[in-house]
Amino acid sequence: MTTPVLTTHLLTKRYGTQSALTEATLDIPAGRIVGLVGPNGAGKSTLLALAAGLVRPTSGTIEVLGRRPAADAAQLARVGFVAQDTPVYAGLSVADHLTLGEKLNPHWDKQLARQRVEQVGLDPKKKAGRLSGGQKAQLALTLAAAKRPELLVFDEPVAALDPLARRAFLQNLMEFVADMDVSVILSSHLLGDVERVCDHLVVLAESRVQVAGDIDDLTGAHHRVVGPRGTLDALPEGVDVIAADHTDRQTTLIVHNTTGRPLDLPGAETVGLEDMVLTYLHRAEGIGVPTLQETRS
Amino acid sequence: MIWLTWRQMRAQTLWTAGVLAAIGAYLLYLAAAVRESYRVNVTECTTACDEAAHLFGDEFGSGLLMLGLLLLAGPALIGAFWGAPLITRELETGTHRLVWNQSVTRTRWLAVKLVIVGGVSVLFTGTLSLLLTWAAGPYDKLVDSRFEPLTFAARDLAPFGYAILAFTLGLVIGVLVRKTLAAMALTLVAFVVFQLLMANVLRPHFTEPVTETITWADANTVGQIDAFGIGSEGAGIQEYQIQGAWVLDDLITVYKGDGTAFDESDLDTCDAQGATTPDECLRAMDATFDVTYHPADRYWTFQWIELGGALALSAVLLGVAFWRIPRGIN
Repeated sequence: MTTPVLTTHLLTKRYGTQSALTEATLDIPAGRIVGLVGPNGAGKSTLLALAAGLVRPTSGTIEVLGRRPAADAAQLARVGFVAQDTPVYAGLSVADHLTLGEKLNPHWDKQLARQRVEQVGLDPKKKAGRLSGGQKAQLALTLAAAKRPELLVFDEPVAALDPLARRAFLQNLMEFVADMDVSVILSSHLLGDVERVCDHLVVLAESRVQVAGDIDDLTGAHHRVVGPRGTLDALPEGVDVIAADHTDRQTTLIVHNTTGRPLDLPGAETVGLEDMVLTYLHRAEGIGVPTLQETRS
Repeated sequence: MIWLTWRQMRAQTLWTAGVLAAIGAYLLYLAAAVRESYRVNVTECTTACDEAAHLFGDEFGSGLLMLGLLLLAGPALIGAFWGAPLITRELETGTHRLVWNQSVTRTRWLAVKLVIVGGVSVLFTGTLSLLLTWAAGPYDKLVDSRFEPLTFAARDLAPFGYAILAFTLGLVIGVLVRKTLAAMALTLVAFVVFQLLMANVLRPHFTEPVTETITWADANTVGQIDAFGIGSEGAGIQEYQIQGAWVLDDLITVYKGDGTAFDESDLDTCDAQGATTPDECLRAMDATFDVTYHPADRYWTFQWIELGGALALSAVLLGVAFWRIPRGIN
């Protein structure tokens, strides 16, 4: 698994004049559990739909596991996709769905499918239209997983679930993904959903990628720097300012150290993941940055 | 994919097959009745045979017409209830995002759906068409008006073409409109418009019609005059019929031997000369009229053109579907 799971270059998708995704450039290595975070309408679903080959890019390129998404049946077999709202055929039973999966996928894992259905307590004879939201999500997940893909993509898998069910679903998902040799991309508009389970993060806002990387690297490279006013005007090359706040006497910065070396600035401390993400989201929306003050007091 | 397609259409197919089986049984019964009546009234007729043949025609005419209408409605219903929802229902319920992410390309997915559901549509309609053609055989032979729009479109090959056309029309309208109900309504309207256009505008021009000048004396040997009227506006034949042929003129003007139109004043001239009936008068004046028609032996040419036209149009629609769907719909 050395081929990157997802590579995009200046990937853009427009619907009419509306830009759903703008010049996204990403390179996500294999073997990660990737969290795709951003507010509603940030372009998460568009990016995942592009990755699943459901829509075609307006411009730019995208490769999933080294090939064009949905290029042929073999490529489709390598990616399992669970769409938002986890659609299932209302008129078909749970057992029918498993037969569907078996008939339509060359590497179908019959045992895995049966085990999962049993484990989450789905009645095989029940029509999918009469399942609860959580059960539908479980059924859709089972279908995607039992095809034994190299990459599993979930678009807001827990959006329709209540908080208790969200946690249980994610936990169950992760336990089960851990047993499979598979990369995962998971989107959510809530950081809380993904930070527990992901080791790689992509932050999307206003149709653009704000930041992307392994979570450990990201938290290690983002710092809050506080200094007397004027002393932080010139920063070393490779240290980008994400947000700045000035009072009469002092300046507070949140910086991204892209040099790869430890940041050599007095008064620098790492910021938590949540603050980091919020800083990016606020910057994207062009509004003030409450996180600068909040954690300091 | 075949399994899934069948599983999705199973209920509606069996239901439709049930209805068709009932119609089929009725057609078998009708075929026997038509044959029995034909034997009594035509083949073994000894006295007052013209009347008996008329009786036979009246007995089955309206019933067969109704069945023909049913056969015309069949493809329209297939287009609306099978074609339009086939893809659109999936788009509406979002299940396309489930099925398009199985290890089956969209092109194959579409092709299998088309072949199976479209195939069943053609099979059903075609069977009904052939059964009706067979059941109505003796009637059609006697009445011999196979070009009659409602008869032509409900016999032999034409319904096969309509079935596939209505189905693909529904499918493509569904894909473009993206709303099942609206697509169903639009399909019905579009298909009815197509059939009206075909019967009234296109079909008469499939081949160059023949124009023949007939003298009044021969009028009822070449064909048959249904009605003839003389008024201040002139003289005209309404509904001239030639056995088995398709006469295109509705109203035919009658000319005198000198090439001018025959009118009321000519009757007075005749009266003065002692020719009392209009018929005698017209003969005396060497009256003639022109008839434009398609001869009876063109029937199969027309059936093939009708089928070919529908197939060509379906091919264009299929091209749209295969171009549009794999490119992503969102």
